[in-house]
Amino acid sequence: MDPDSPGSSTAEPADGPEAGPVPDEVLTRRAALGDKAAFAELMGRLGPGLYRYLLRLLDDRGDADDCVQETLLAAWKGLPGFRGESSVRTWLFVLGRHEAQAVLRRRARVPASGSVPVVDVHEAAADLRDLRADPEGDTISVELLAALDASLLLLPERQRSVWILREVEDLSYAEIAEVVQTTPAAVRGLLQRARTTIATTLEDWR
Amino acid sequence: MTEDSTPTPGRERSTRRGSTRAAEATLLLRQHTDAGWTAIEGTVIARALAAFRPSAPVRGRHDLGDFLVASDVVVARLREAVDAVRGGAAQRITCSTGERDELEQVTIQLVAAYGPPLLDLADAVHVVALACLQELLGTLAPTGEQVRVHVHIGDVSDDPRVVS
Repeated sequence: MDPDSPGSSTAEPADGPEAGPVPDEVLTRRAALGDKAAFAELMGRLGPGLYRYLLRLLDDRGDADDCVQETLLAAWKGLPGFRGESSVRTWLFVLGRHEAQAVLRRRARVPASGSVPVVDVHEAAADLRDLRADPEGDTISVELLAALDASLLLLPERQRSVWILREVEDLSYAEIAEVVQTTPAAVRGLLQRARTTIATTLEDWR
Repeated sequence: MTEDSTPTPGRERSTRRGSTRAAEATLLLRQHTDAGWTAIEGTVIARALAAFRPSAPVRGRHDLGDFLVASDVVVARLREAVDAVRGGAAQRITCSTGERDELEQVTIQLVAAYGPPLLDLADAVHVVALACLQELLGTLAPTGEQVRVHVHIGDVSDDPRVVS
């Protein structure tokens, strides 16, 4: 895994600073054998990326919260059967997307009422907060992130998934193909289309 | 009449601007942790951990009679005991039970530290596993022939983070 990627291990080392953090695979093995502390540490590492992905897939904080809960439940219950054929991170995204698709299917069955969903402005601002010191830079960052989120909403679900998993979560084409159930070649095409749409949308951002 | 598709300098500048902003925004998103996650992290992890992992029952016996314990609990206790043995860590633990849910076989697959003798490690794990099962299952716990504890060395590692 790329050490600079967002899902990389960043927790405090368990065996002293010189030893480095316990690898995800070791925590996964321990969690599969019932070690709750290992599961909590693993989810502490992988949770932010999972939430980032699901929130942008569902565009609804309540649904994202529920989806993350269901994904973690499925992960805890499913870990004893996890064979390690993919990384635990990829497996978690597979579980997460599965849960998100169930939400999206339910939404599709409910006809749109035409009403505008209530959005809490403060909550939305907090969601977009980038914890940096410079207030001016902070504002620009928040706005740019909001513009990116808006452009992501223009993408069909699979393109959005592929773009986030590649550009933000740094998964390989093969890993993404596993998550979105397609081939690495198809991932390449989906990614290209998504990149074009996002770049075009952001052209006019101030 | 055909339209000229050659990009104009203005169009090229605009495309470049879009790509640059997309790259900046991507970088921001990579560093961003949603407040939503921070707010629910503790709760969702705790709720997941409170969930019951379906697993077969294992029969134990103490002074007041028989009781059943989930094999998941047996596995968790064995892992703790095995991981406490220096130079080894549990990689996979499986339990097999008979018709009356009595534990018939336990298989412990290990990761071993590079260097120390593997047979000594296997013996030490065997001893602590039997003691752990005895404590957990009382008189129905293994006494030599009753339950066979198989220890397999599945991997050898020189990484101190993998094997304590």
